[in-house]
Amino acid sequence: MEIHRYETIWFAASLLLIVGFIGTITYGAVGVGVEMVDDSGGTVDPDNLGSHERFGDTGVHKVNESHYEVNMIAVHPSFIPSEIEIPAGSTVTFYMTASDVTHGFKLVDSNLNTMIIPGQVSEITAEFDEPGEYGFVCHEYCGSLHHEMAGNLSVVPEDEWGGVDS
Amino acid sequence: MNLFVDRYPEEAWIVRAALASSFLALFLGGIMGLIQGLHRTGFLQIVQDSTYYTVLTLHGVSMVLLFTIYFLVGFFQWAVTDSLDRSAEDIRFTKLWYFLMVAGTVMAAAAILGGFTDATNLEADVLYTFYAPLEAHPIFYIGLVTFVIGTWLAGVDWFRSWWAWKKEHPGERTPLRAFMVMTTMLMWYLATIGVAAAILFFILPWSLGLVDSVNSLLTRTLFWFFGHPVVYFWLMPAYMMWYVILPKLAGGRLFSDPLARIVFVLFLLLSVPTGIHHQYVDPGIAEGFKFVAMTNTMFLLLPSLLTAFTVVASMEHGARQRGGTGRLGWLRSLPWNKPAFTGMALAGLMFAAAGFSGMVNAGMNLNYVIHNTLWVPGHFHLTVGTAVALTFMASTYWFLPQITGNGVFSQRLGLVQVLLWFLGMVFMGNAMHRIGLAGEPRRTAEPFYDGVTFDTALGSISELHFQIALGSVILTVSLLLFMAHLFLSWFDVASNPAPDNGVIPEALSGPENAPIVLENLRLWTAIALVLILLTYALPLASIVSANGFFGSAGTLVGTAYEFAVSPFVGVVA
Amino acid sequence: MDSGTESASADAWDGEIETEIGHDEYDPYGTLTLIGIYFVIIALLWVFMYFVEFLGEGPTVM
Repeated sequence: MEIHRYETIWFAASLLLIVGFIGTITYGAVGVGVEMVDDSGGTVDPDNLGSHERFGDTGVHKVNESHYEVNMIAVHPSFIPSEIEIPAGSTVTFYMTASDVTHGFKLVDSNLNTMIIPGQVSEITAEFDEPGEYGFVCHEYCGSLHHEMAGNLSVVPEDEWGGVDS
Repeated sequence: MNLFVDRYPEEAWIVRAALASSFLALFLGGIMGLIQGLHRTGFLQIVQDSTYYTVLTLHGVSMVLLFTIYFLVGFFQWAVTDSLDRSAEDIRFTKLWYFLMVAGTVMAAAAILGGFTDATNLEADVLYTFYAPLEAHPIFYIGLVTFVIGTWLAGVDWFRSWWAWKKEHPGERTPLRAFMVMTTMLMWYLATIGVAAAILFFILPWSLGLVDSVNSLLTRTLFWFFGHPVVYFWLMPAYMMWYVILPKLAGGRLFSDPLARIVFVLFLLLSVPTGIHHQYVDPGIAEGFKFVAMTNTMFLLLPSLLTAFTVVASMEHGARQRGGTGRLGWLRSLPWNKPAFTGMALAGLMFAAAGFSGMVNAGMNLNYVIHNTLWVPGHFHLTVGTAVALTFMASTYWFLPQITGNGVFSQRLGLVQVLLWFLGMVFMGNAMHRIGLAGEPRRTAEPFYDGVTFDTALGSISELHFQIALGSVILTVSLLLFMAHLFLSWFDVASNPAPDNGVIPEALSGPENAPIVLENLRLWTAIALVLILLTYALPLASIVSANGFFGSAGTLVGTAYEFAVSPFVGVVA
Repeated sequence: MDSGTESASADAWDGEIETEIGHDEYDPYGTLTLIGIYFVIIALLWVFMYFVEFLGEGPTVM
């Protein structure tokens, strides 16, 4: 088989590009420590979320001084809760599931982005160092009012934080 | 005359029928696209927000399934018949698969169109991904399955031709175009296992009320088992044109026939075990499985990068044969006045840009930035919406005379049409990518939320929204020009003679230089199957073991059904 | 195969060809140039996307 010298050069450059891409991603995962949403959240029965120990009690929960948990249910066309307040300088773990159809969650101006699938729990953890306002939206079509499904996350200075919501 | 239509009139009829179906879907989908482009940017809202999703479903299904696949079957029928130089084994069978596809289309379309009126209970506002438990009328799923079965039989038809040809030509290399068709169809058979299993075992029984629930993650994973390779299914006819027709139009010859074969074999091997890269941010799938899918996806860049070289080198060869000189000066010697050439070359250029956004999509953790934002449709409006669609439209300026016997109406009008499509997509693609980076979601009727702002690095969101609306309008003008031109050419209004230019020149490095093992399609299919098993067996097993085949508890009938069907499903999963 | 001597049937190209160029007398250095430029653009954009748009942006899943 005749392969032109330039083709060989390009073949090598292509492989270099591919290996470089995989290397960058690996660096992000191992070096920086970016984790993927995975199966660590476990599964739930979407028809009985009310009696579930976590999703029967939605909202913000304090684990310790620096760690908070947010339990959320997505149900067309709302997030429960849709207004979230957490203190700056905290690590927050979100647990999200859906009671009806597949939804999505993207916190705008951040890299928090996950699917929310009935029967599955999406678990994502992130640090919020500075006070600020973030919006979040449902990014997977979930019904005729899908475009109304959004909410807000306020990161407030530690001394202004009002505690867990009801 | 050496025209295809004169040599194979019956096959040409099928090709024409398939192309007519394809362009009808393109027209319908294009009008829906215009409605969306103006609606979600707020410029003109002629439908209710809730109806937007019916429009979106019709746009998606028309464009990514009907337009592309009808064109593919027509083009592949030509490729097989012409390159093997043999009639269909049984033209009745050929008609059977075409009309089966039409029947499927009618059912699915009826379900979608029912969403525009309350007069029927027909409805399918589920978008082209139909993620359960979003539910469509059962006729939608039955239509999709029927359509796919039609494509399976088309593949059988072409394999029968190939086997018969091989019997009469022992020891000869399969002609390039037939080889490309066979590898693409093998990939399609493997890919459609996923969607067939999702619909037949799970979604259809559930929509008919036989079982109570579905395992959403399982059907979603099976969808993407099919959903990623389907993009290569659209792309392969475009690749075939870039390899086979574009060099000739440029005045040159394909640089390397063996390399073209290797590229198609790589697509057969790697197209399917990549679907999980659409699920990078799905819960319920371990990171390791996502990493494996990413590795496969990144290596799938290889055949496309190799294609870029071979196709550009073939064009350069044409330019130099036409007297072009210099390091880049030869670009001026290409036939830019021919719409078939210019459209395909611009489509290839756009595909190079799309290649970059595809690389970003493939990057596992990088997916957090763009997943389900407008970046993603931005990407595939450059791939299927330009690389594929513009190549199909442009090639029609060369292809149509071969199958109708009539010359095209006006080359100049054709040139304007392809240039407008390119321009429209420049606005559309640029704006969609950048809006996506700002975080605006896709698939949304009104991306205007209280307390949520999308900030762009350069310019403003409203300026980018304007670019989308402008792009939609330019694309629609181009589409209308194309349809009008198609009509005038098809019905020979100008009585232009068809140019006798159906001959495809041989490659510079011919098929006899390809390793003989490339012909062994059984071997490549077996390796592809092994790669699929390695990539999918464990994720599917873990999804099923976590949540069962059918999600939460079912009815008595459902339990009995589950008991009966589980062994079969187990084999597939 | 010596492609230089094999005719690629002149009617394949609507008679627009000045000189037929065979495999062995053709070096696609223009292509290598174009694709080299493409390589550089891709590599730079990748670095921008990963380190500026991604790692440089707000909170991230850890």
